[in-house]
Amino acid sequence: MREPTWRQEGEDPDYRFTLANERTFLAWIRTALALLAGGVLLHQLAPTLGPRVAVVILSVALGVAAAALSVLSYTRWRRNEIAIRTGRPLPFSRLLVVLAIVCAVTAGVLTVFLIVSDAVA
Amino acid sequence: MSAAAAAGGQPKDAGLQPERTVLSWTRTAFAVAVNALLSLRAGFVAGEPALVAVGALLLAAAAAVVALAAVRRAQLSDVSPSAPPPRGALLSVTAATVVAAIAGVWSVLAVQGAAGAGGVPGAAS
Repeated sequence: MREPTWRQEGEDPDYRFTLANERTFLAWIRTALALLAGGVLLHQLAPTLGPRVAVVILSVALGVAAAALSVLSYTRWRRNEIAIRTGRPLPFSRLLVVLAIVCAVTAGVLTVFLIVSDAVA
Repeated sequence: MSAAAAAGGQPKDAGLQPERTVLSWTRTAFAVAVNALLSLRAGFVAGEPALVAVGALLLAAAAAVVALAAVRRAQLSDVSPSAPPPRGALLSVTAATVVAAIAGVWSVLAVQGAAGAGGVPGAAS
């Protein structure tokens, strides 16, 4: 793989900034992997929870969200790296809001399922 | 931090930056390994050899991330480290995560198909 052109742009920044950016990328990747594991575990280990169709939809949605998030982690890392190298402000991102909404919806749906399945049992 | 340290010397936690970065790689390897095991389990439960194969592949990917952590540890062990991550390393981790996500969605749909065909009593939708 050849050296990307943006690595020659600007100047080498303080290594602490690039290391922090690298860790941020890895933290987002772990978040994606956690969402994915949550979806798969939900589907495999909770067969009596809620309507099966809804559980399948939720699991698939978490898997798709994980795939999208992992790609976004990389593009975000790259944009941040370029911004740091050229001394521009870090780009604004709506990723945090979207992730919060995904987590809130998942938690809400699962809570309803837990209450309903408990009432039935 | 004292004013002198802030003005001239190395910041107090300069030496810990590489350590935190290496630990971050290690944690990521664990997260990949967990998903690899889930894919293996789903493959055995659903009787899908392809899912088992992807699980084994992801396990190898987790080992590769451990190796990357070791590479980063070596690169960043200088007094003043400035090495960027190995070329393509971050892109490979991204690709492994996408593969894991595809396997996860696939495992959900595969087990669902088996349940629909009467594989798991009472679980059919």
